[in-house]
Amino acid sequence: MTRTDSAAPIEANPTVPRPPGPGGADPLAVIGELALFAWGWLRRMRSALYLLACLAVLTLAATIVPQQPNVAATVAAWRAGAEGPGTAVARALDAMGLFDVYGSPLFLVLLVLLFTSLTGCLIPRYRAWWRLVRRSQPPRTNNLAGHDHLARITTSLDTGRSEQAVNQVLTRRRWRLRPQDGRAPRQLAAERGLALREGASLLFHTSFYVLLVGILVGQLLGFQGQVGIVEGERWAETGIGYWSARPGRWFQDQDHRGFLIDVDQFHVDWYRDPALGGTPRLFSTDVTITRPDGTAFSDTIGGNDPLVVDGMKIHLLDWGYAPRVQIEVAGTLAWDGFVTMSPAGRGFFQGAAKAPGPDPDVGLQLTLIPTASDAADPSTWTGAPWADAPLLTWLTYRGDLGLDVSQNVNVLDRTDLVEQGAGLARVGGEFTDGDVTVRFVELRRWVGLQVSHRPTAPLLLAGGLLLLLGLVPALYAFRRRVWIEFEGTDAGTAITIAGRTFQRPHAFHLEFDALVSALAEQLPEAGIQRLTARPPDAQPPQKVPTP
Amino acid sequence: MTEAAWAELSNALFWPVTFLLYLAAMLTYFYATAFTRVPRGDQRDDRAGRRAVMGATTLAVVGATTHLGHIVTRSLASGGRVPWGNMFEFSSVIGFLVVVAALVVFQWRMHRVEVVAFLMFAAVLSMGAAAVLWTDPGPLMPILNSHWLKIHVFTIMLGFSVFLVGVTMNALHLLRDTAEQRVAAGQALGGPGRSLGAAHVADLGGGAAVDALDDLGGIGDRSLPDVAWDGLADTVDATATSTQEPAAADGGSADEAGEADEAAEADAASVYAAALKATVSRAEVALWSGGIGLLAGAALLPRGARVTLGTALIAVLGGLAARAAVGRLPNASTLDSMAYRTIAFGFPIWTFAVMAGAVWAEQSWGRYWGWDPKETSAFLTWVAYAIYLHARATRATQGRGAAKLGMVAFGVLWFTYFAVNLWVTGLHSYAGL
Repeated sequence: MTRTDSAAPIEANPTVPRPPGPGGADPLAVIGELALFAWGWLRRMRSALYLLACLAVLTLAATIVPQQPNVAATVAAWRAGAEGPGTAVARALDAMGLFDVYGSPLFLVLLVLLFTSLTGCLIPRYRAWWRLVRRSQPPRTNNLAGHDHLARITTSLDTGRSEQAVNQVLTRRRWRLRPQDGRAPRQLAAERGLALREGASLLFHTSFYVLLVGILVGQLLGFQGQVGIVEGERWAETGIGYWSARPGRWFQDQDHRGFLIDVDQFHVDWYRDPALGGTPRLFSTDVTITRPDGTAFSDTIGGNDPLVVDGMKIHLLDWGYAPRVQIEVAGTLAWDGFVTMSPAGRGFFQGAAKAPGPDPDVGLQLTLIPTASDAADPSTWTGAPWADAPLLTWLTYRGDLGLDVSQNVNVLDRTDLVEQGAGLARVGGEFTDGDVTVRFVELRRWVGLQVSHRPTAPLLLAGGLLLLLGLVPALYAFRRRVWIEFEGTDAGTAITIAGRTFQRPHAFHLEFDALVSALAEQLPEAGIQRLTARPPDAQPPQKVPTP
Repeated sequence: MTEAAWAELSNALFWPVTFLLYLAAMLTYFYATAFTRVPRGDQRDDRAGRRAVMGATTLAVVGATTHLGHIVTRSLASGGRVPWGNMFEFSSVIGFLVVVAALVVFQWRMHRVEVVAFLMFAAVLSMGAAAVLWTDPGPLMPILNSHWLKIHVFTIMLGFSVFLVGVTMNALHLLRDTAEQRVAAGQALGGPGRSLGAAHVADLGGGAAVDALDDLGGIGDRSLPDVAWDGLADTVDATATSTQEPAAADGGSADEAGEADEAAEADAASVYAAALKATVSRAEVALWSGGIGLLAGAALLPRGARVTLGTALIAVLGGLAARAAVGRLPNASTLDSMAYRTIAFGFPIWTFAVMAGAVWAEQSWGRYWGWDPKETSAFLTWVAYAIYLHARATRATQGRGAAKLGMVAFGVLWFTYFAVNLWVTGLHSYAGL
């Protein structure tokens, strides 16, 4: 009997022979030969392991090296040499695309190779599995006594009726039986578990295609955009309304839902006990949604509690202070609006105000200290994020704001600006420096909302469930065989039962014992002899854990 | 009781109560291992060992109970939230789960006291890591306030504990396998590369044949069972209706053996155990375990160089203990099988945990996967264990190769947990400390 080294049928590990080429002269033949060679290489288990190892190495790099899509600022700092191992290393990392591993061509190539390899491995396995389910028969054994598990039952029944009884037990326990072909000695051969183990493994591997399709189609059809809305303000969900948006290629402008969001009231609070270090304890916002057809409803969006409107999911991801600032130049109101400020370090918020009206332009680089009980004494600035004594400070710039190109509303492009002075004010206060007067009218907050549309989320969830559904039996189902021979004696029949398993010897040891006992129960006056030569590692054996 | 009172009780239960109980239990288990009969069962000498096992078990059970008390009171002291909200709590619960697994699975079901000793060692290490990452009880950020905290984080902890048990088996397997191979090579009975050294040192003490096992290399999950000699007699007794027929290949079964034979067998086993121990030198083990400990400790470097060096030192002590016990460990193929079964159990748990994390991320951060450092490294861990499982299904990388891959995979997990939290800033970092 030949031993197989894995549960996969032999077809799963083919060695593809190279076709005899007509000689090196024909470039087409060379390419064909190379392609065949590559295909053959990709279909080997070892190659899959190497590819997985490459994936692991790339992923390790992505863990250690900051990634452009996640932390663009840190990447910039690495490139500039301000952080990280230095500019030389950063240049090398850049050359390999390691600042954006999952967007790099290297990763794409690896993904294609992995899926090609997977396909190459799976196609013959599907075929073999289908054949197996349809037509496979457990083989006979020529060496009954040579198997790892062996038992003998004597009974007073004659051989024919014993065989019938044994047949019944095996069928009831869902063993796949080999049909009798009249060969001598008469032998029952039965098998279990191969179809399930292999089938589950196939299901597990197939689920990766489902996940891949879900991810790719989801990126094409999906949408994701961010916007900041000041408390009390209204915003409309349209293609141009977002601060930043990533629409999928197949996501059209008319796919926007066009509802209105009113931010009624934003709630944020912290444990103000110094021992707890200002841990946040409240983070949610009340909104009113008005659909294009006029229907409106109010709801709350919280940290783990997104709101779904017409298939668009709205998350509360961010917040900051929004002081209303007025800029007057030589007595004329040049700018009046809310500055959305973002946290920049412990207890500081930063933002920018841009007034292109006067000549030259006025730009303010603003910093808000939410709790500064004494403006002149920085030691009273506790770093607390709650606005007990908000103080707005700024640097004034004059020059060209450069608004003819699109830029971040919260960052001042200082290339053509000259610093003119600084100022500070409390809520309701103002500060004049030269001909520029800055008024801090009121303090509100803004909320950062993300609106996303992921039409393939159910598909991805289904893919994940299939993966788990396949994984567990692929690891735990096991393939085993039993053979049974009947020998007529003076007292009745002597039945010899042999068994072998391909996986999970511990579990099979228990199952074999149980099977022998079940057989004996069905046979009158049965006597059991267990001849199992090699008990598995356990003492006592009935306490073997089957995880 | 007020939260402050609960906090005080909880802290005291962690240190000194639980920590010292675990430490004492571990030492007693090692003492018991030293007195446990060597394979092949010399029944007369192990009374001291059995008493020590009872003592160690008591200590471990009481320790686990006080630990559970600590976990519950910690939850009460933090306003009733689940007690796994930061790295300290995470490491502590992992220690608890490992102790429970050691007691329930490895001691009460498998009767492997010598393995339990090393699992206690792993648990104490995890508790030590927790102590290094100490955080006072307190509330959580509202973003963590979700049912997924219970599901995702608990399954991650469960997976971590199972993999911690798995890597303990991997490490013991590598040590035992090295010793077995060297003994086998020294006896010139088996070729190099055989992984079942024990099989090839037949007749060490005369008469007591250590069964000539087949080379198990070929079969997926080992079609032949792992053999524990001291289990043989019990097996025979356990099947009351059966009679043991000595198989032709066996030198003699326990039933047949007379008292003199038993003594000879015990001697043979002792000689074999001593031979195993002699093949691996203290310096070699110290070097290897020290190196691994240094790597593991490097992940904790932000907590100070002393922590790193301490980790290395503790690893060396663990390595030396393992060397001293190498003759009493289960044989290499048994350890290999234990490691595989443990990791195969942990893999679906980890898979589910990562998926649950993705579902939570979609709910909380508005995207199911964003290659955040923690997500990336959790995926890396998944890939590493997938490689281990695939490797073990391939003939060429069974045994030692797979064990090394298992160690690397756990290294990745360790890195995912400690290094990524302590070194790399990402969305998960608020959960860090």
